[in-house]
Amino acid sequence: MTRFGGILVAIAAVTAVAAPFFLKPFGIFLISTWAVLTIAAIGLNLTLGYAGQISLAQGAFVGIGAYTVALLTPAGMPFFVAFMAAGLLCFAIGWILGYPALRVQHHYLAFVTLAFTTLVFLVLRNEEWLTNGIYGITGTPRPNLLGWKTSGARDFYFLCLGTLTMLSLATWWMLRSPWGRAFLALRENPIRALSLGLDTRRYTLMAFAIGSSLGGLAGALYAPLVQFIEPNSFSFGLSFNLLLMVIVGGSGNFFGPFVGVLIAVLLPEWLRITQGYYLIAYAAAVMVILAFCPTGVLGLIERTRMLVRHKVTGMPPLTSGAGP
Amino acid sequence: MTAVLEVSNIRKTFGGIVAVDDVSLKARAGEILGIIGPNGSGKSTLFNCVLGQLQPSAGEVRIDGKLTTGMRPCDLNRLGVSRTFQLLQVFPQLSVRDNLILAGQEHQGSMASRLFGRADAGLSDAAGEMIEFFGLSHLVHERAGSLSYGQQKLLDAAMAFMAGPRLVLLDEPAGGVNLTMLGQLRERLHAYHAERNATFVVIEHQMEFVMALCTRVVALAEGRVIAEGAPQDIRRNPVVIEAYLGH
Repeated sequence: MTRFGGILVAIAAVTAVAAPFFLKPFGIFLISTWAVLTIAAIGLNLTLGYAGQISLAQGAFVGIGAYTVALLTPAGMPFFVAFMAAGLLCFAIGWILGYPALRVQHHYLAFVTLAFTTLVFLVLRNEEWLTNGIYGITGTPRPNLLGWKTSGARDFYFLCLGTLTMLSLATWWMLRSPWGRAFLALRENPIRALSLGLDTRRYTLMAFAIGSSLGGLAGALYAPLVQFIEPNSFSFGLSFNLLLMVIVGGSGNFFGPFVGVLIAVLLPEWLRITQGYYLIAYAAAVMVILAFCPTGVLGLIERTRMLVRHKVTGMPPLTSGAGP
Repeated sequence: MTAVLEVSNIRKTFGGIVAVDDVSLKARAGEILGIIGPNGSGKSTLFNCVLGQLQPSAGEVRIDGKLTTGMRPCDLNRLGVSRTFQLLQVFPQLSVRDNLILAGQEHQGSMASRLFGRADAGLSDAAGEMIEFFGLSHLVHERAGSLSYGQQKLLDAAMAFMAGPRLVLLDEPAGGVNLTMLGQLRERLHAYHAERNATFVVIEHQMEFVMALCTRVVALAEGRVIAEGAPQDIRRNPVVIEAYLGH
């Protein structure tokens, strides 16, 4: 990471910690939503942005994680155990969902994952004995962790932020390791990667499984955050929104999901000053962003920085390595 | 001399088209075997059958006496078999250094140990040596995609050698490379061969390159072996001349 990037991350971290002390409960709810959805978007960014495997199933994994916690915690299971169970379950399902990716790619794979999202939605809606169907599940408790009660909005936000921080660092570590380089190779040239000894089958499955697992962990926090979950929350809409967040922020850029989710969560709220037109304004803003910076907002910032550097110093643009 | 690569009666068909028809050949330890032939003679298809990218319709492939027919390319690579492709196959978004580390990292420990091990898989020094060996030191941090075509060809070859293979299959290494770069590439291939005593199998159209590099040449036409021998003999062989000029 460059010094400029380090300064920006430090400013963002201080802002994230200080923000809840200046916000009203709804504002804290919004930034908690940002933290939770960022975890899911990091997972999708890993699968799509780094490993190049398109997935329209991330919303379904958030749903599986949410229902896992919503069902297990009232049954007496500690939150931490239910949280880990959600991650493991989604890891296993993600691994299985990765198998079609070994046979089909691009839009075909998108449709396979979309079909999976439909399947999960139908199970959540129709299997009432387990999920309570369209009535959903209410009142998933917020956890007490070693005596720390997170029932308050601010406390729960810090739980979400802490989880986001830990999972981000773990993902950063992984992407800096040879695995990160292997994921990029998978995206850029799987045939060459295979000829260099990369077991592309195993890396593809791993990219799906880890990405899905992060979706499940996000869902595990989503249920106690909103305290009411129902099948419609995890239908196509969420999967497409998560895809939008990753692409708007900058697919394949480690910080892309952070920015993309921020835009997708906060922009519609800021645009409420346009009253009934706020969703139209939001859609138009997204179209403008994607039309003028297909590499996402961070891609645009990076390009601008390179241009300024080139004009001011005459130095050639910096090059990127395998790091996140 | 023992055969590192032994191809026996390989046949590959695509529907009704026979791309490779009953081809047998051997590459002995330490030799540089050239495979020549006009376009469509089945050279690259043969390579792809040997390297697991295509499943042959019939016949078998042995490496160091071990049956490897249908084995996956990644498993073959771990047996010490490496290749370059006809078209450039570098990773354009990665730096030159990371391309080389990537080319060697899967030979370092297990998948789990690579996750918890060093970011460079302990290959920075080896990558640096290979970069220097191929004269790419001034480009070490450049993105591979920003290199010239010739430089990418050198990088492509360097990647094939990064894991210290015993058998290297080079598919048109000279294709599209200018004369200056071609000399450098040939000289580096010779140097690597002399240093490691690796076995090379080279597909090439550029006859001067083949004559200067290879110790033995097999000529293919219409999927069959039409001649085999020393480079100077193959060059004068009327059947080979007919195959090249008769179409």
